[in-house]
Amino acid sequence: MKSTRYLVAVPAALALALAGCGGSTGSGSGGGTDSSASGSADSGAPTDDSNCADEAVFCIGLVTDTGKVDDKSFNQSAHEGAKAAAADLEGYYKYIETQDAKDYAANMQQFTNKKYDVVVTVGFLMTDATVEAAKGSPDTKFIGVDQGYPEGTSETNLTGLVFPEDQAGYSAGYLAGLMTKTNKLGQVLGLEIPPVQKFAKGFENGAKAANPEVSVKTVYHPAGDNAFNDPVWGAGQAKTQLSQGADIIFGAGGNTGNGALQEVAKSKGAGTDTYCIGVDTDQWDTVPAAQPCLITSATKLITKGVTDTITQAKDGEFEGVQTVGEAGLAPYHDFDSKIPDDVKTKVDDVVKQLQDGSLKTDVTL
Amino acid sequence: MQTWIAKNRTTLVIAAVVVVAAYVFYYAKNDIAPSMYVSAWGYAIPLVLASLVGVIGERSGVVNIGIEGQMLIAAFAGFFVAAYSGSMLAGVLAGVGSGLVAGAFLAWTTVRWRMDQIIAGVVLNIVATGITSFYYTPGQILPGVIPNLTVPGLSSIPLIGDVFFTGESAIALFAIVAALLVHVGLFRTRWGLRTRAVGEYPSAADTAGIDVERLRIINVTLAGSLAGLAGVYLSMDASSTFERSMTAGRGFLALAIMIMGMWRPLRAFSMALFFGFISAVASQLQQTGGFAVPPQLTGTLPYVATLVVLAVAAGRVRAPGAVGQPYVKKDQ
Repeated sequence: MKSTRYLVAVPAALALALAGCGGSTGSGSGGGTDSSASGSADSGAPTDDSNCADEAVFCIGLVTDTGKVDDKSFNQSAHEGAKAAAADLEGYYKYIETQDAKDYAANMQQFTNKKYDVVVTVGFLMTDATVEAAKGSPDTKFIGVDQGYPEGTSETNLTGLVFPEDQAGYSAGYLAGLMTKTNKLGQVLGLEIPPVQKFAKGFENGAKAANPEVSVKTVYHPAGDNAFNDPVWGAGQAKTQLSQGADIIFGAGGNTGNGALQEVAKSKGAGTDTYCIGVDTDQWDTVPAAQPCLITSATKLITKGVTDTITQAKDGEFEGVQTVGEAGLAPYHDFDSKIPDDVKTKVDDVVKQLQDGSLKTDVTL
Repeated sequence: MQTWIAKNRTTLVIAAVVVVAAYVFYYAKNDIAPSMYVSAWGYAIPLVLASLVGVIGERSGVVNIGIEGQMLIAAFAGFFVAAYSGSMLAGVLAGVGSGLVAGAFLAWTTVRWRMDQIIAGVVLNIVATGITSFYYTPGQILPGVIPNLTVPGLSSIPLIGDVFFTGESAIALFAIVAALLVHVGLFRTRWGLRTRAVGEYPSAADTAGIDVERLRIINVTLAGSLAGLAGVYLSMDASSTFERSMTAGRGFLALAIMIMGMWRPLRAFSMALFFGFISAVASQLQQTGGFAVPPQLTGTLPYVATLVVLAVAAGRVRAPGAVGQPYVKKDQ
C-alpha cells in the first residue's frame, strides 16, 4: 500500500516539475527560462548574459504577453524579429514567456537588472508596465510592440512600435467587398483593444467602400483572460455567421480567430462559396488547416519592424516615442488564379493609395 | 402520474412556457433564430457532458473540480493521436481513454487514499495544464472530421429536429443519449439507488452490504470517459485544433450548471442549453448593432443569468449529503 503511493506520487511530482517548465515565468525559477533561452549561434557573439553591462556586448531581451513564442501570432513574429536582429548584430538574445499579467514588471526587471541594452515587450496589454519600466531604467532601451503611448510621454529610451492595422484591414475588407456574393461579411475578433478595433473598423470601411450594399457582422470575444485563446468560441461564432448568410469571414484574434478560419475551411463550399481572411501574419503558413478557404491575410510586418527598431536602438536613437511599421496584404497563394484580375487590380490600387496617403481609411477609435 | 405532476408543477409550467416561447421566437425571427439555437446547442454540448461527470461524481459523494483538467488532457490526447496516427477513431479512443485514466487518478487518490477532494482536483488541473502545454507542438492538422448524422424521423420535427437531429456530429447525439441514460440509471436502476445511497449516507449503504469505496471508484473513473468525450469534442469537433488551456473554464462552468440543475442530469441538460442560449443572445446583440452595447457588457449576460438562477434556486437545492467526505469505516 505504502509503496504504491510512491508509484503515483513520484510521477505526479515529475509532472508538476514539467508544469513549471511549460510555464516559464522566469521570476526566480531559473531552470525554465535558462533552458528555453536561445542565444545567437554566430561565432563571436556572446553566449551568456553575464557581461551585458559591458558596452561591447549587445544584449536583447524579449518579454511576451501572456502567450508563447510559438503562438503563430504576434508573440512569435516579435520573437523571430528579435532573433534575427541578434544574429545580424552579433548580440545575445533571451526571452521570457509571461504566464500571468502580474509578472510583466518582474519579467522586465530580470533583464534590466542584468543591464540588457534593449528590452522588447510584446502586446498592447503591456503598455503601462513598459512605460513604468522605461522610467525606472534609463540606460536600457525599450521597444513596445503594438503599444501606443499617451501624449506627453517623453522618455527617449522608449518607442512604441505601432502598425497601420486599419490600412491592412481596409485592403482586406475591400477585397472581401468585391468578392462577396451574399453581400454579408462576418468578423470574429479577439479582445476589444485598439489594434483589433483598427483591423475591424478598417475592414468594415474597406468593404463598404468597395460595395455599399455590404453589411458586416462583428463580434468580439467577451472575456478578458482567454479572449485570444478560445478557438472553440471562434468556431461557434463563425458557424453562426455562416448560417446567417455571411460568405467571407475575417478572423482576427489569435487562436480565437484561427478557430473561426478553421470552421469556414470545414464548411460546405469552402473555397468556392465561402472564404476566410486571416490576420497579423500570413496564415497560409501558420494555420495550414485554414488553407481551403484562406484568400489572404491582413498582415502587419512585426518581424521586420522589431528587427529594424532593434537596429536603430543599437545605432543610437529611436525615431520618436512611436515608430510606425508596415502593414499590408499577404499573397493570395492558391486563390491567385481564382480571384478575378479586375478585383486584383482594384485591390492593388487601394493598397498603393493607402501607402502614398492619397486614400484614408477614416478609422477613428 | 398525477402525484408526479403535482410534485413537479413549477418545473412543468416553466418548461411549457420556455418551449412555447422558443417556438414563437423560432417562427417570428426566422432569419436569426435557427442559427442562434444551433449556436446555443453547440455551446452546450461540452457543458452537458461535463456536467454529467459532476453529477455522477457528486451523487456518489466525490466532488470533481478536476473536470477542466480531464477535458484538457482528453482534448490534447485526442487531437494529437488523431493527427499523428491519421485516424480520427484512434484519436477519439485516445481522448476518451485519457479521460478515463484521469478519472481513475481522481478516484484512487480521493477514495482509496482519502486525499482532500478539492486538492486532488486542483492537482489534476495543474498537471493537465503543465503536461499539455509542455508537449504541445504547433502546426498539426486533423486527418478528417467527426461524422455528421441525421436521425430519420426525429429530424423532421420542427425546431427540435433542425437543432438536435439534423446533420449533428456523433458526439452531439451521444450527449443527448448520455443525459437520458444517466437520468434513467440514477433514478430507475439498482446501480442508481446504490450510487445515491453511497453519496447521501454511506454508512447506511455500507450496513446494507454495498462496497462504498468500490462503487465510488468505479463511478468516478467511468465518469472520466464522459469528460474525455467533452474534451475530444472541443479539439476535434467544435474546433479542429488544440491550443494550450483551450478548455477556457468550461469544466468549472459545468459545475455551476450541475448545481443549477440540482444534481439531476436532465435539468443540468436544460440548464446547459439555457446557458448556451444566453451566450448566443450575447453574441447576437453585438452583431445586430443598432444600440451600441460594449461587448464586455453583453458578455457578462450569461454570468449574470447564472447568478440570478442560482439566487432564485438558493435554499431549494441541496447537495448530496456525503459529498466531499471520504468514507471511513467505523471499525478501522
